[in-house]
Formats: sequence, C-alpha cells, structure tokens
Amino acid sequence: MKEKNQLKILLPTLREKERYVSFQIISEEPIQYSDLEAAIWNELLDFYGESGVAKLSFYLVKNLYDVGRQIGVVRCNNKSVPLAIAALGLISRLGDTRIIIKVLKVSGTLKGLSL
Amino acid sequence: MQFFDLHVHTAFSGGESSIEQLASRAKQLGYKGICFAEYFQNENQIKKLKEEIQKVKEKVGIEILLGFEARNVKELKHLVDIRKRFDILLARGGDLKMNKEACETPEVDILTHPEYERRDSGLNHVLVKEAVKNDVAIEVNFREILLASKKTRANIMSNIAKNIKLAKKYKAKIIMCSGAISEWELRDPMILSSFGTLLGLDLKEAQEALEKNTESIIKKIKERKSENWIMPGVRVVK
Repeated sequence: MKEKNQLKILLPTLREKERYVSFQIISEEPIQYSDLEAAIWNELLDFYGESGVAKLSFYLVKNLYDVGRQIGVVRCNNKSVPLAIAALGLISRLGDTRIIIKVLKVSGTLKGLSL
Repeated sequence: MQFFDLHVHTAFSGGESSIEQLASRAKQLGYKGICFAEYFQNENQIKKLKEEIQKVKEKVGIEILLGFEARNVKELKHLVDIRKRFDILLARGGDLKMNKEACETPEVDILTHPEYERRDSGLNHVLVKEAVKNDVAIEVNFREILLASKKTRANIMSNIAKNIKLAKKYKAKIIMCSGAISEWELRDPMILSSFGTLLGLDLKEAQEALEKNTESIIKKIKERKSENWIMPGVRVVK
C-alpha cells in the first residue's frame, strides 16, 4: 500500500483565500524567465523586507510563464493584492533592458484568468 | 474605466521620448488620455506643440492635452496671463514659495510633487485649505518614488503620506500621475492605484485619484474654454 506522506487538505473555510494576478512584460528586448524571477523577488524583499513578504504568501507560478507573449502569473493572498501589484510596478529594469509591467487581470482561480 | 495621466514630459522639455511614443505607450497601458506637461520656453512653442499633438491624436487615437509646468513664481505669473492658450496649468512644487503661490492661484490646476527635494512634506493645513478654496489638485508623483531607493524612497513615501493625510482631512483633490519623462517610466493605472493604498488611500480613493479627480479637472478645462467663461467663479448665463 502506498504510504501517504501528505497532510489532509484543509477545510475550505480554513484555507487561505488566494488571488492570481496575470501580467504582461513590455520590454525593449526579449527577457529571460530567470532574470524576471530574480528581479521580482529582489524588489519584493527590498521593498517589504522578509517579514513583509511572508505576509503576502507570494508565489511566482513558473509553469504558467508564456515566453512568447511574455505573460506571467503571480499568486498572493486576497488581502495583499494591491501590495503585490505595487511592488511589481517598482521594477523598471531587467539587467540593461527597460521594462514596464502591465497588469492584465486579477482572479480567484487560474481558470478565471483565461490565459 | 477612464484613466488619465496628467503629468508626462516629452522630448520638448527634457524628456527622452517623443509625443507619439508616449501616446502609443499610454494607450497600450489602458489610459484614455494623457497630458503633456512642458516647460515654457516661448510663444512659438505652444503653436508647434499643438500642431504636433493634433497629428499624434489622429494617428494614435487617444485624448491628448497640452499643459505647462511652471518652474518658478515669475513663470507661473506669465503662464496665468496666457492661461487660455493651453489646457492644464501645473505648478512645480518643492520650493515653499512656489507651493504657496500655487495653492493661492485659482488658475492653477495641479500642484506637482509638493514634497520634492524637501525634508518636510512641503504642505501644511493652511496651504491645503487654500488649495481646496482655489480647486488646486495635489499630485502624487510616482516617478519620484520609482527613481529613489532605500532611505530616500522611505522619506519620500513618508512625506507623500503626510500630504495625503492632510488632503483627505480637508477634502482636497488628490491625483496620481506617473510624472514620466520617458515611455518606460509610464505605469499601468492599476499599479498606480495599488501604490496609492501604500500611501494611505483606500483602493476606491486611489482609483478616484486617477479617474474621477482627473476627469473633474478636464471638465473644468472644458468649461474654461467655453465662450461664457470669464474668470474662476464668473460666467455668462444665457
């Protein structure tokens, strides 16, 4: 019998409410995902600090990043959406490339983002 | 949503991007309109800018307004004299004399970054009350925050938050602008409104700062341009 190494899923009322934010990168030149990931985390940690970021429940969804259209998705809790979006707005460069982040949609489910 | 960015500099006044580049980027980011705030040089500049704006307006399909940002009291007085020739009059804040003059002049539409390069916030209850009386909007400039970092950014944000607190208390008009000098400094309206929440506005107030308050300024401009308008508070009723 397969050993269960996972916790039992929390009741819906006890789970943290999540929001997904899809965004598009407008850039001078095509960008690498690794650069974007580093820039987002550095900006968040610089701006809010470690304890501040902990309260956001922030997560950059790697497998949803669209390289061609430069569209990505971040997840945070429902109370921290403006904080997460504000931090994204402070990113103005990835290396030597100037970028603008355009927020496309905020949704409670990934399906709702209609990527 | 009909968002406007009322403080953007073009290559005409020390900016890096052309009118067309800025207008198309603003359209891409979801703005309904944009106002180019130039530094006044001479009378010919107004004509030249108006022609350029008209061309871009037709090409890009976005509402474009022409504004002038006064850098000192003398320039402000001159711009008040030729007020009917352009759309928006902005006063560059930071200097205490300029903050005071801008709040006391009914022809001024926007006082930009009153805390600029200051240790204090640049406004007090007396000036804010004057701004309310003369319908002068107080600007929250995103570029100032974007270009600063660490301690400087923290000080700027703290001063802006103080100004917002005063403006909210006396019901002064707050507007949020990118203050961009390049197309790469323009920001999504949603990002600006989210940033407003960090500075003491709630989300609704932050959205109003980009939408309702900017629209009311534009409405005021249209009234001012009508034939019936004589001076602030005086118009011909037919």
